Amino acid sequence: MAAVTICSTAFILLGRAQASALGNASLPIAIVPHPFGLRSRDEVRQIAVKCVDDIIKLVSEAKKG
Amino acid sequence: MSSNLSGAVERAAVVEAQDDLDAINQLYRERRWSDGLPVVPPTAERVNRMLKHTRRARHEIVARVAPGFGAATIERIAINAVLAGCDSEYLPVLIAATEAVADPKFNLQGIQATTNSVGVWVIINGPIAQRLQVNATFNCLGEGAWANATIGRALRLILRNVGGGLPGDMDRATHGQPGKYTFCCAENEEENPWEPLHVERGFDRGASTVTVMGAEGTMNMNSHSKDAGELLQVFGDTMIHPPSNEYTHGGEPFVIIGPEHAHILKRDGLSKLDVKRGLWETSKMRADRMSPKDRERAQDSRRDELGDFGPDTILTIARRPEEIGIIVAGGPGTHSVYVPSFGNTRSVTVEIAE
Repeated sequence: MAAVTICSTAFILLGRAQASALGNASLPIAIVPHPFGLRSRDEVRQIAVKCVDDIIKLVSEAKKG
Repeated sequence: MSSNLSGAVERAAVVEAQDDLDAINQLYRERRWSDGLPVVPPTAERVNRMLKHTRRARHEIVARVAPGFGAATIERIAINAVLAGCDSEYLPVLIAATEAVADPKFNLQGIQATTNSVGVWVIINGPIAQRLQVNATFNCLGEGAWANATIGRALRLILRNVGGGLPGDMDRATHGQPGKYTFCCAENEEENPWEPLHVERGFDRGASTVTVMGAEGTMNMNSHSKDAGELLQVFGDTMIHPPSNEYTHGGEPFVIIGPEHAHILKRDGLSKLDVKRGLWETSKMRADRMSPKDRERAQDSRRDELGDFGPDTILTIARRPEEIGIIVAGGPGTHSVYVPSFGNTRSVTVEIAE
């Protein structure tokens, strides 16, 4: 089953390192900007739409691989 | 990439280095194998000397240490103990502490990788504390005692070097805290008018234990009151702070009661459980002390316990009074210390095998 993790930019290094430590260095990670706190709902919605596109792309690539 | 979760024997790497303390410390600095302080070179001779203080096999894995899940073998624990400057006799304490932090209920993954300032506080109970001269009295959380300083430091080095908790990498702490260098004391059992922590948790009084607690820091409470009710009120008022993980999640706060305060509470007829119940009451907080955003987080985290809540909902610091931790420590003086927890964690006590 294809899986994608979503990470904010501040946690990418942690996500990548931990994926490697757990033996899955190629784990697809969709990235969103950090932090969310000061963003408007519209901005968050745009980020979510973009992230969905990234997730679809990552899942498609994982399936091909 | 291969996983380090394989079943292969995990041996520490041997690195040839110049026989020069400055050069070795430079190597440790460059490779980020130190906590920022100079280290004692873990030569084969020093590590072997340390290993004489356990019957366990050199390459036995005590735990996988999050978030990198490196294998904490007996040998690696010993190496980090040497680095920190530990006496060889301290090794069994560190083996037990490593086992304790890996207990799932401690939530080491969260503690190591969070933005929170949380560090690991090590509490030692039982006869080993006196034998190793772990300070439980004057300045027990401060500097000056070799065991306190180096045991706490060694555990931090294990969390970094074996667990991969390097600041800015997998350790995402926004600020951290001084207790991440070292944070260790013993309970002052001689001055404790109640049962000590390890006995409360079901161990024999003659057993020696190590307890690990995910601590956000310390807050001193100086009160000259000689009345139990007033002390409970003062402590509870201090424990209330709205941007707290404890009120958000229902935590496990600790209070280090100074001997003078403990004797007043006991004199006025309070058992340890009475004190916990009293603190649970006096630290209750209205939900509208939190910002609306923080209240939403608390609502999400505690809905199963409290249902939907509004601004006037009363939040407790822990889910049950029994989950407030109490030890007696420190020297003479009118002080006690509040130790807020990370919230999503529970302290773990493990017997030290000698």
